[in-house]
Amino acid sequence: MNPYVLATLLFSLGLGTTLTFASSHWLLAWMGLEINTLAIIPLMAQHNHPRAIEATTKYFLTQATAAAMLLFASLTNAWLTGQWDIQLMSHPLPTTLASLALALKIGLAPLHTWLPEVLQGLDLPTGLILSTWQKLAPLTLLLQLQPMNSSLLIILGLTSTLIGGWGGLNQTQLRKILAYSSTAHLGWMVLVLQFAPSLTFLTLIIYLTMTFSTFLTFNLNNSTTINTLATSWAKAPVISSLAPLMLLSLGGLPPLTGFMPKWLILQELTKQDLAPAATLAALSALLSLYFYLRLSYAMALTMSPNNLTGTLPWRLLPSQHSLPLAISMTASLSLLPLTPALTALFTL
Amino acid sequence: MLMVLTPTLMLVPTIWATPAKWLWPSALLHSLLIALASFTWFKNTAETGWAFLTPHMATDPLSSPLLVLTCWLLPLMILASQNHLSSEPLNRQRMYITLLTSLQIFLIMAFGATEMIMFYVMFEATLIPTLFLITRWGNQAERLNAGTYFLFYTLAGSLPLLVALLILQNNTGTLSLLTLPFSNPLLLLTCSDKMWWAGCLLAFLVKMPLYGVHLWLPKAHVEAPIAGSMILAAVLLKLGGYGMMRMLIMLESLTNELSYPFIIFALWGVIMTGSICLRQTDLKSLIAYSSVSHMGLVVGGILIQTPWGFTGALILMIAHGLTSSALFCLANTNYERTHTRTMVLARGLQMALPLMTAWWFIAALANLALPPLPNLMGELMIISSLLNWSWWTLALTGAGTLITAAYSLYMFIMTQRGPLPMHMITLDPSHSREHLLIALHLLPLILLILKPELVWGWAA
Repeated sequence: MNPYVLATLLFSLGLGTTLTFASSHWLLAWMGLEINTLAIIPLMAQHNHPRAIEATTKYFLTQATAAAMLLFASLTNAWLTGQWDIQLMSHPLPTTLASLALALKIGLAPLHTWLPEVLQGLDLPTGLILSTWQKLAPLTLLLQLQPMNSSLLIILGLTSTLIGGWGGLNQTQLRKILAYSSTAHLGWMVLVLQFAPSLTFLTLIIYLTMTFSTFLTFNLNNSTTINTLATSWAKAPVISSLAPLMLLSLGGLPPLTGFMPKWLILQELTKQDLAPAATLAALSALLSLYFYLRLSYAMALTMSPNNLTGTLPWRLLPSQHSLPLAISMTASLSLLPLTPALTALFTL
Repeated sequence: MLMVLTPTLMLVPTIWATPAKWLWPSALLHSLLIALASFTWFKNTAETGWAFLTPHMATDPLSSPLLVLTCWLLPLMILASQNHLSSEPLNRQRMYITLLTSLQIFLIMAFGATEMIMFYVMFEATLIPTLFLITRWGNQAERLNAGTYFLFYTLAGSLPLLVALLILQNNTGTLSLLTLPFSNPLLLLTCSDKMWWAGCLLAFLVKMPLYGVHLWLPKAHVEAPIAGSMILAAVLLKLGGYGMMRMLIMLESLTNELSYPFIIFALWGVIMTGSICLRQTDLKSLIAYSSVSHMGLVVGGILIQTPWGFTGALILMIAHGLTSSALFCLANTNYERTHTRTMVLARGLQMALPLMTAWWFIAALANLALPPLPNLMGELMIISSLLNWSWWTLALTGAGTLITAAYSLYMFIMTQRGPLPMHMITLDPSHSREHLLIALHLLPLILLILKPELVWGWAA
């Protein structure tokens, strides 16, 4: 892509999210979300093949619907209460509507069905932007809403963790697996939103780190299916030995970083007397863990000469060493002992 | 505590920096020195019971035998793995020893933890290196399934444990093992309290394993390489027992009734898995089911909650750890020579390897709890405490002892006595390394006869 065009699009992406971060008026926040959507559309369609165009169209339609719903919710609130301020939304109907609109924007179940298909049509770097950057602005708005209906968020959260787990079980395409993983993690974030928003923020940051390193690992191996992951030991042996740990961290196993948000969220839920919900969410994490384990089996735990699950690729020039991958991989494996520091750092 | 933990941590850079010729001797020497340093943990003279106290870790008469067993096992694992890894590239050998060492670190921190969440995190942390040992370095295709079963059975039990621990923390304000036994007894009346009780124990029952949830164990033990089988049988199962003994203090009022079905399950499991052992064709599978059988007795002893029960459980855990690990090492010596675990194929070995037969004999006798070995002491104390609870358990435990004797002798006679098959007359002679390995297993077992106070736990 023309570097000027790319720079403009990336700048617009940053502008849109920053606008949403900085606004207290609903219209300005909505405008930021729209700028984000419009900026990423050309990025998604840059490769011009039909699958990418299909993904772009689906993304645009769902995001436009969500934006319209959000605008409608803020207008209704303005009509009912005279308030345009995001944090002073006090009527339950527009609050619920806005929560659902934002859920559609980020891909929470049961409003998640667009996410696997859209992510599948994109290449890995654009998919990375969709999975990480595009979640920031809607979650900021969700964090600022005062939820009236306490069970809506819990239902959204539990449904997301369960569907994120079950949906990913039958997938062989890595991007769809990451889409369902995204839904599951967003479910965890939303579960604790009304009780301890700082934990949502912490979960978001840790999820961003882990997803960032996962996407970069898959990009380094140039692999988009499970079968092509099987040859990663030949291309990048060190990453292939660390990647199972990173995937298990995504699955939430101690002593890796991914355990931290799950532990703190379960603690908060039990403090709020929601122990059955906590147990259900914890057990649904096992579903996601199964397909992460399957990926780590393919990458590192079934090595030649024992079970060769794919044919060997041409050994081309190795990709340049990636400093961001190194940093995010280290962060996604070893930050659990720093839990008190991170909890203090990411307090809202 | 740090005196042992820091050298173990530093063993990892040592492994990666040692030149190839000195890798195995150096790893062995250092882990032996760490094991010798760990013997200081036996000296437990503190009035409160907790010794070697640091802000986060401590030992007490319950955990110190298990800690010493853990530290003793690392040199034995390194000794056992040296042969079958000699054909692998150097960095993979280093990776393997690093996995064993990291498992050791997590185990020391688990047994030495003074706070239940730390114990939980380390309990779960031991799963990852064990999973890698089983699925990456196992030998047959079934190892993939074995790893999955292992991980998911254990996690399905331990995630409710996490929620239960957080509920406990909410109620009592702390999870520190130093103060929790002295907190107010919990009033446990409702149905959800009973589910909390089950959630506290389920993880450890799966880990032990209790008979109904034991399916992961034969798979995992059989498919793991020798070091994996050793650490699984000797120490990882005992994590379950240790956790149960710690948790039961908090679960006081409900355990009198609610433990009933679990004790029956455990004792029935002794009989059932013992009977399964009599019909096994795979040698490692027989030893694995024998582990389930012995652990069933340990579960019964722990759930009885009397001093003799706890003491018997602890002694049996230590003795079974050493015995089972020795049996797996012996089975591995056969496997390395014949590459089969089927007993009808690798039989009559007394003709070919007579010195090994002596070790097989002692290990088989230890397995069937021959006096004066500590195995008998543990089993007898558990059987007595169960008898005190109900006379009917004698039917199950007595039959269990009989069946244990039967399959231990069956294992010995099948592998050692009888005709040597014609296809196996050119076997490598026994290495001194293998003799040393089995001796280092059985010698502590025999020496424990002389001073069982070391492994008596709180009854001391």
